[in-house]
Amino acid sequence: MSIDPQFENTACTKYEAVLEDYLEGALGAVESRAAEAHWRDCAGCRAALNQASASVRLLRFAGPAAGPGPAFARTVMARIRAAEAELAQTSERFGFWQPLVKFGWRFAATATVLLGVLVTYDAGWGRHSQRHPAGTAITGASDIFAPDPGNPPANRDEVLMMVADTNHGN
Amino acid sequence: MATSATALALPLDRKGKKEEDRELVRLSQNGTESAFEELVRRHQQRVFALVGGILHRPEDVEDVAQQVFLKAYLGIKRFDQRAAFSTWLYKIAVNECWDYLRKKKVRPLVYEADLSEEQVSRLDGIASSDRPPEGPNARAEAREVLDRMLAALPEQDRQLLVLKEMEGFSVQELAEILELNVNTVKVRLFRARGRIMEVYRRRMDAGKLANSAAAHKKG
Repeated sequence: MSIDPQFENTACTKYEAVLEDYLEGALGAVESRAAEAHWRDCAGCRAALNQASASVRLLRFAGPAAGPGPAFARTVMARIRAAEAELAQTSERFGFWQPLVKFGWRFAATATVLLGVLVTYDAGWGRHSQRHPAGTAITGASDIFAPDPGNPPANRDEVLMMVADTNHGN
Repeated sequence: MATSATALALPLDRKGKKEEDRELVRLSQNGTESAFEELVRRHQQRVFALVGGILHRPEDVEDVAQQVFLKAYLGIKRFDQRAAFSTWLYKIAVNECWDYLRKKKVRPLVYEADLSEEQVSRLDGIASSDRPPEGPNARAEAREVLDRMLAALPEQDRQLLVLKEMEGFSVQELAEILELNVNTVKVRLFRARGRIMEVYRRRMDAGKLANSAAAHKKG
């Protein structure tokens, strides 16, 4: 785990980027003079600059890490060729079936959408039916023509009489 | 005079290399394998440096660097050359490093915090000398000691310092690769410098204290 050393930055915040440029020699003559004038009077910036200069010397002495071996480029190209061959083999193996596979995926996607619509519709209908369960709001209307299970009409005249009675009731 | 000539020659040289890169990219896009191989040769050193700077695990650097070039090859037809090839390649390298660290669920290699007696004296020698250590072995040893010190820094500080000071990336390049503002890179670098010197001072103090304690015991 990396540990953040308790480092107290002494440089003025607006001069930090300038100090870095100064270390790099990236400032122009006028800018350099202005910066130098600042840290002549600012002990914090002066201390930070000294510290940073020391770090440049310390780190640059180490030099870069070991580079790739002489065969690296050839190894990379061999790996590329192997990857290409594998890709070609895969497309060759599935090349004939590609249109069918495509169709299969499209069919599956359409079926999923349709199934989703149906499930949604069904769920909505179910809720609608629950809101008007049989025998509540529609009970009156269905009772008009429903025959009395205890006393069914025996003939045509009785049926007509029953309808007439209902109309009178309205 | 010599300095200004070098300073003038460097951008021209870089410009020329960029133009050559553009041509090699164009040829690679048309399927010329040898052109891509030449691109690999030109950029392998810096890709290695970048991957090594981020992963900090030498044993994995070669594998990830190969993967970077493979991805670049597979994607080169989509590369529109609006940015420099190197910038595009280094971004692939940075992404590949993050992917690798995420997939393997590994943290960058962290050394033990303390330096040995020998390492303290070696570090002392590096810091007080005006010349770089001579010979590849001495440099590698210096690098190892500094890597141990750098491991005590926050990961972002460590990467910036390694890439800038040891591997030679410019502030502009780092800003492009890490997708940061140039000024942000400068400020972070400057603060990281302060931190590494703080670590250095502490290690040296601790090392010297341990050395004098050992000498006292012997005496």
